[in-house]
Amino acid sequence: MFGGKKKEEELDEFNIHVARHRPEELAKLAKTTKFTRKEIQLIYRGFKQECPTGMVDEDSFKNIFSQFFPQGDASQYAHYVFNTIKHNHTGKISFEDFLGILSKVSRGSVQEKLQWIFGLYDLNGDGLITKNEMLDVVTSIYEMLGRSTEPQVDEHSAKEHVEKIFHQIDANKDGVVTIDELVEWCSRDEQILQSLDTLDTVL
Amino acid sequence: MASVAAWLPFARAAAIGWVPIATHPLPPAPIPKDRRKADDEKLLINVSGRRFETWRNTLEKYPDTLLGSNEREFFYDEECKEYFFDRDPDIFRHILNYYRTGKLHYPKHECLTSYDEELAFFGILPDVIGDCCYEDYRDRKRENAERLMDDKLSENGDQNLQQLTNIRQKMWRAFENPHTSTAALVFYYVTGFFIAVSVMANVVETVPCGLRPGRAGTLPCGERYKIVFFCLDTACVMIFTAEYLLRLFAAPDRCKFVRSVMSIIDVVAILPYYIGLGITDNDDVSGAFVTLRVFRVFRIFKFSRHSQGLRILGYTLKSCASELGFLVFSLAMAIIIFATVMFYAEKNVEGTNFTSIPAAFWYTIVTMTTLGYGDMVPETIAGKIVGGVCSLSGVLVIALPVPVIVSNFSRIYHQNQRADKRKAQRKARLARIRIAKASSGAAFVSKKKAAEARIAAQESGLEIDDNYHQEDIFELQHHHLLRCLEKTTDREFVEMEVPYNGQPKRPGSPSPLASPTHSAASHPGLLHACCGRCCGQRYQKHQRGATPESTAHDEELNDIQIRMQSNRSPPSEPTPDRLSRASLNQTNSGGGTGAGTGGTGGGGSASLVSISKPNSTTSSTMTASVVVNLPASYPGSEVEPTSPASPSASPATSPDQQPEVRISTL
Repeated sequence: MFGGKKKEEELDEFNIHVARHRPEELAKLAKTTKFTRKEIQLIYRGFKQECPTGMVDEDSFKNIFSQFFPQGDASQYAHYVFNTIKHNHTGKISFEDFLGILSKVSRGSVQEKLQWIFGLYDLNGDGLITKNEMLDVVTSIYEMLGRSTEPQVDEHSAKEHVEKIFHQIDANKDGVVTIDELVEWCSRDEQILQSLDTLDTVL
Repeated sequence: MASVAAWLPFARAAAIGWVPIATHPLPPAPIPKDRRKADDEKLLINVSGRRFETWRNTLEKYPDTLLGSNEREFFYDEECKEYFFDRDPDIFRHILNYYRTGKLHYPKHECLTSYDEELAFFGILPDVIGDCCYEDYRDRKRENAERLMDDKLSENGDQNLQQLTNIRQKMWRAFENPHTSTAALVFYYVTGFFIAVSVMANVVETVPCGLRPGRAGTLPCGERYKIVFFCLDTACVMIFTAEYLLRLFAAPDRCKFVRSVMSIIDVVAILPYYIGLGITDNDDVSGAFVTLRVFRVFRIFKFSRHSQGLRILGYTLKSCASELGFLVFSLAMAIIIFATVMFYAEKNVEGTNFTSIPAAFWYTIVTMTTLGYGDMVPETIAGKIVGGVCSLSGVLVIALPVPVIVSNFSRIYHQNQRADKRKAQRKARLARIRIAKASSGAAFVSKKKAAEARIAAQESGLEIDDNYHQEDIFELQHHHLLRCLEKTTDREFVEMEVPYNGQPKRPGSPSPLASPTHSAASHPGLLHACCGRCCGQRYQKHQRGATPESTAHDEELNDIQIRMQSNRSPPSEPTPDRLSRASLNQTNSGGGTGAGTGGTGGGGSASLVSISKPNSTTSSTMTASVVVNLPASYPGSEVEPTSPASPSASPATSPDQQPEVRISTL
């Protein structure tokens, strides 16, 4: 019957193999990133355990991220982080992308780190952070806290926070933050520079 | 390394995004005091000759099992440098896969009991069986349990026979199970015989035997042999009445018995006789009398006590009532439609039978069921066309719902049995997941307080318990990450109260640290509990004291074993002192306030044991295996330890009467 063929095609689409990805050679990765061979091995084993096909899609990324923040909802922040990782049009990231970002952000120079931070906040990628973009990101950070905090999080917490911070970073008060303003603001504060370092991880 | 832990570096790297907007500077990173061997080592496990190898960290993902805890050391073979288990290697494969992948599968070809035994031996709760295999496991388990129960019941039944002293009980048992004694069997057959006799008599008495004297027409046997049939009827009714009264006497719950279907049938079967006795054979009421006699045919339903099949059929019809209703309704619709059309097509024909629409109903029914008596036939062409369409559609309309009913019956029958079971399971599972989530949050909070205290102590250079060195670097870093989040947003994580039903409540009191009047000295046990206990814990806890109890809940797997554990105090303890948040923020200031603990309201020692990776397809559930030691006065947030004065030497083993919540969830 004429209806039957379409069904078959649809079923076939489901059966198309999930794209598998094999990462580049270990030695090459060790050269291009700031990790040692042993560290890359450890990272890859964990990566492959979570994503056997070698590619992470956004949903599993959100899932993994949420495991570290059990009280709240980390999915929105994970979404923003996911967007900072360059991925091809299939919407998945490969191990090289993952490792590249990890190397840049946790062991890169201050400039690289600040650049990544800027990319995180600049949601539409136009080179400027508006107040709304920062509000979105800050809201997602507050969502990770969940319900049981002291003082409690309500819908105005993020807004207040952004109000406080935004005008400090926006040096020329034009309503947007450029990468230079962000770099300027972070370089001035000694504590921020120190904080950037504390988030490196020992493997 | 726990696979999700492998992503911790990335999560921490992603946290750099919080830095520009942080309201407070982020706390410094934890310094690993003692680097554990960076290389993970492989363990050799020999199960009845078959060798398995795995990483040590894989096994330690679930520290409340045999392989993940110190208990496996009992099985270590020094000469061969391997762990030897004299168990079934085929089933062990699945158990080892549970450690590797986080999902426990149940092989369909294995015997359920042997599988259960292996799980019990290795300290794994059957609750963690993955969704793919869980239903099958439960079904088999239920069958097994039912079989065991039946065996036990019949055993008991045989025993109980001698124990029945009550006449009533004996009689009731005789009525319900005719096979239990010869008297019961005799009674069973006698009543069956009389039912048959009665029904046959009803049938035969209408057969014509001979001509009616003085009148045209035949004489039915019932009128010819009136006396005979009357005696037969009387005998049957007496037997039935006696049976009914005996049953009524023997029934354990008389009200329920009177309302049951079978007893109603009994009453309806014998009532016409008595009513017939009451009214005289008068022509006025003979019509009513005849009607009553019709009810005698209900005696045939008494056979359903004798036949299992009839009972099942009755239950079928009852449960398929909606489908039957649909069938009747759709038929009625079709009948009305066709009858109407037929009537209007045929009403102008000379001498037609289709005098009204209800008259056409009969034609429609006969045609749709393809009976075609021919007592009413259409004459016009339009009528004939409609008649043709009617008979064709009749086949469809009738033939379609019948298989639906049949398959519905089979589906509904099985489904009803499963649906309730699944609902109960789901509720219990959700409750468990909620509890685990809440407790993991609570675990973090108390660990955080302990970790803070430790860091402060470390900064001020004070002597710390040796156990501290075994602190896992990953846990340290995970907690550091959560503290960074706190600092960024100027909030603090506090404990949630987790009542038994798993619904988390907001804590009524503010965080203990915020109230400086809360003197630590007045709650010595709390401090000991917090510092010593938490310090003594590793990221993967080794706590196996209570596994033998886990086998006790084989009947209802949905129960959560909750036993409370009080806190113990280790021998050495730094002087209790309060530590304010401000001094914690002074990174290397030497700490004028000295060592102290932050743990008060949290109190209870809890640990987040491990978070195994979720399957990417089940995004909504979190797999967590948590052992939570809750404070003795659970669920209150104030902790009153039951035995603060008696520190036990080894915090790892738990005495039996101490509370502990052991939850493994899916």
